[in-house]
Amino acid sequence: MTSLLQVKDLTMRFGGLTAVDGLNFKVEKGTIHGLIGPNGAGKTTTFNMISGFYTPSDGAVLLRGEDISGLQMHEVARRGVVRTFQHSTLFAELTVLENALVGTHMPFRPNIFAAIFGWDRDDRDGADARARDALRFFGLGDLMNEHAGDLSHGHQRALGMAVAYASHPDIILLDEPFTGMNPEETKHMMGLMKRLCSDGITILLVEHDMQAIMGLCDNITCMSFGKFLAEGGPAEIRNHPAVIEAYLGGARHVA
Amino acid sequence: MFELLAQTGLNAVYAASYISLVAVGLVLIFGVMGVVNFAHGELFMAGSYVVVALYADRFVPFFVAVAAGLVFVGLLGLLMERALFRPLRDNPLGGLVASIGFLMILQALAVLGFGVRMEHIPPVTQEVIAFSDRVRLPVARLYVIVAAIVMLSLLWYFLKRTRFGWALRASAQDPQAAALQGISVTLTAKIAMFIGAGFAGLAGALTAPLVSVNPYMGHSIIVTAFIVIIVGGVGSLEGAVLASIVYAFVHTFVTTFYDGVLADITGLALMLIVLIVKPTGLFGSADRA
Amino acid sequence: MRNLIIWIALAAGLIVLPNVLSFSQQEVLVFLTINILLVASYRLLTLTGEWSLGHVVIMGVGAYASALLTKTTGLPVPLGILAGGMVAALIALALSYPLFRMKGFYFLIGSFAAGEIIRLLWKRFRDPFGGTKGLKGIDPMPDFSVGFYNFDFFEPTSYFYFAAIVVGVCLWILWRIEKSPVGLTFHAVHWQDKLAQASGVNLRAYRTLAFVIASGFAGISGALLAHYIGTINPNSFDVEVMVFVLTWAIVGGTSTFYGPILGCVVLTILNEVVLRELGLEQTRPLIYGLILILSILFMPNGLESIVQKFTRRKEAGLMRPEEAK
Repeated sequence: MTSLLQVKDLTMRFGGLTAVDGLNFKVEKGTIHGLIGPNGAGKTTTFNMISGFYTPSDGAVLLRGEDISGLQMHEVARRGVVRTFQHSTLFAELTVLENALVGTHMPFRPNIFAAIFGWDRDDRDGADARARDALRFFGLGDLMNEHAGDLSHGHQRALGMAVAYASHPDIILLDEPFTGMNPEETKHMMGLMKRLCSDGITILLVEHDMQAIMGLCDNITCMSFGKFLAEGGPAEIRNHPAVIEAYLGGARHVA
Repeated sequence: MFELLAQTGLNAVYAASYISLVAVGLVLIFGVMGVVNFAHGELFMAGSYVVVALYADRFVPFFVAVAAGLVFVGLLGLLMERALFRPLRDNPLGGLVASIGFLMILQALAVLGFGVRMEHIPPVTQEVIAFSDRVRLPVARLYVIVAAIVMLSLLWYFLKRTRFGWALRASAQDPQAAALQGISVTLTAKIAMFIGAGFAGLAGALTAPLVSVNPYMGHSIIVTAFIVIIVGGVGSLEGAVLASIVYAFVHTFVTTFYDGVLADITGLALMLIVLIVKPTGLFGSADRA
Repeated sequence: MRNLIIWIALAAGLIVLPNVLSFSQQEVLVFLTINILLVASYRLLTLTGEWSLGHVVIMGVGAYASALLTKTTGLPVPLGILAGGMVAALIALALSYPLFRMKGFYFLIGSFAAGEIIRLLWKRFRDPFGGTKGLKGIDPMPDFSVGFYNFDFFEPTSYFYFAAIVVGVCLWILWRIEKSPVGLTFHAVHWQDKLAQASGVNLRAYRTLAFVIASGFAGISGALLAHYIGTINPNSFDVEVMVFVLTWAIVGGTSTFYGPILGCVVLTILNEVVLRELGLEQTRPLIYGLILILSILFMPNGLESIVQKFTRRKEAGLMRPEEAK
């Protein structure tokens, strides 16, 4: 049986530096999969290759068995793989609702001629309903008319996810989703992710902080210095000697 | 045929000389200030009119008039820095628009002061260096070539061998880091504007007796300078000089063997191709996109 | 209901307007109407964050296309104007392949180069473009009557009515596009292209779409101009005209639909009427340049920001104090 997403011998070289080296792992449908590792392990680079932001130097990203590596980001998105960004990458000048409406671009594709003559009423209503749903789901229902740039940090992160969620993805890639959230917000967000998952959306998330995702992930892939290190459930990973060594050793290397 | 080629080559060297003076100034301003100075062609024009006013109308010695042109236009550059670019430091598009406003003012002042007619400037010297019957270099053109070589060498020395030059290059690369290093961004901006504008003024002043001076002469100069800085790689002074030479040769040869309009089209097409294939320019480094 | 009254009042005002103006002012009014379409179409392109320096040349493409098509094929002028817009859009589509390999400053310069090449081609090829002298004796709009009014196109007033209707329809379309999901996507492409792309937006396609639509309407404005003045040449569409468009957009402000139009109207009235009446013929560019500099220095968000300040205060006054903060 083919996995929903499979990373095969994925390699990225920047000049002389090999940031990701022959990485392999699989993400099964309906699970929450964590990709962890110390700073500089190549997590974000991997993430950028899966989402089409970078073209891998070698290897492949397979979505339901189809090779999607090297496609542009919007082409990857149209196949159901939608990502969020580290930091608060949002349309800061637009309102919260407009941000979410951009997220509905794929399910309700704008048509310029219909738009001019007003024949796209149904689509616009559908997009509007979808955007509002997504915002309410992430607890932003009361902030729809605020400018995204005026939101608190935690709300901005939630909005980033709402924009991704609005597009009806099969799989969401979350880049360090808990950064900048206080413990309460983190707990709340973890609950929302579990609900997303039970709705049938697969989640792949990158996180530096191992503890934050132990209670959330079904499966965890750990990498270090660009290479695969270990894989397994939270308990396995927590007690895996190589993982412990990488985190402690990594810290030593950094220091 | 050989003589025609040699003569056209000499013409190209002359063209490359004043073009590189203008383009290097434009690059310097863009590098340090981060603005595209659309008024650069009018600074060139202002340099020409200083020669008209002093040398043609008041019989001041030519080289004194040229020096005055450099200083006067350099001061115009300082004025632009203080009045326009400093207040608009965080607004590059605003800086561009303000430079367009300045362009219109300079043009209007030239019209008011001198009229729209072509200026007649008495030749500085009638002397000609004759390499053969058909290969001749007027000494007035030689002045331009020598001045360009001297000034560009001085600039190169200044930038690479002095502390000021080092500060200038540092703030062109990273203004914030430069400020942290204790480099006064305002001071480097002033120096860059004075040199950048002054070079344009010098080129305008030196070529004044050789071209038709009129208030609208800046247009073709700025178009040429844009082509050159794009082909050379925006922000690269060496690239600007090399691209000036390439452009001058291409343009002069196409003009001689075909026609001027086709030469203009060729120049623009050259730039468009460079933009498409390698937007950082032929000589620009890849990481300064 | 209130809106309907405003629109009727506006229409009535536009019908009366040319009748209270002098002949030369009527001519200015026609040019102003055409330029409003030009600058409004320019704004559609700036929605995606790209600033072109080739827009006026694209306008010229529409002018040349319509003039040549009506002359050589006998196409009726109104259809020629439409065709002019279409040709301009097609040329823009072709140009978009090289130009949208660039962004920002490089696009600005690239569009300038592409425009200059087109202008030089007009200059060089006397057949069919007429060379430096351009095209003369372009077919005028044929006169016609709608019962209660006779369109006599030697009169600027008639041409103003005709142009105002065409421009009005075009503005309505531009407005509909901007307020649609397509317009929202243009904004998204401008502010955060990566996030837009991650939402499935094809950036290149949307940048091209904005460029093509903007160019099509610029082409229509060029065709309107050509059939009014009857003669065009490469210098009718040179970079100086482009500078005017740029300044209208920037002095007016580009964050609202009406900003550039406001800039165009105010600066045109100032330039063509006030300064001309004051007899400051030669100092006009000087004063214009000063206005440009002063407005960018002291009004960086354009005239529209003043209008917004005024309307916001009015809204705030209507709100209850606890909401007004």
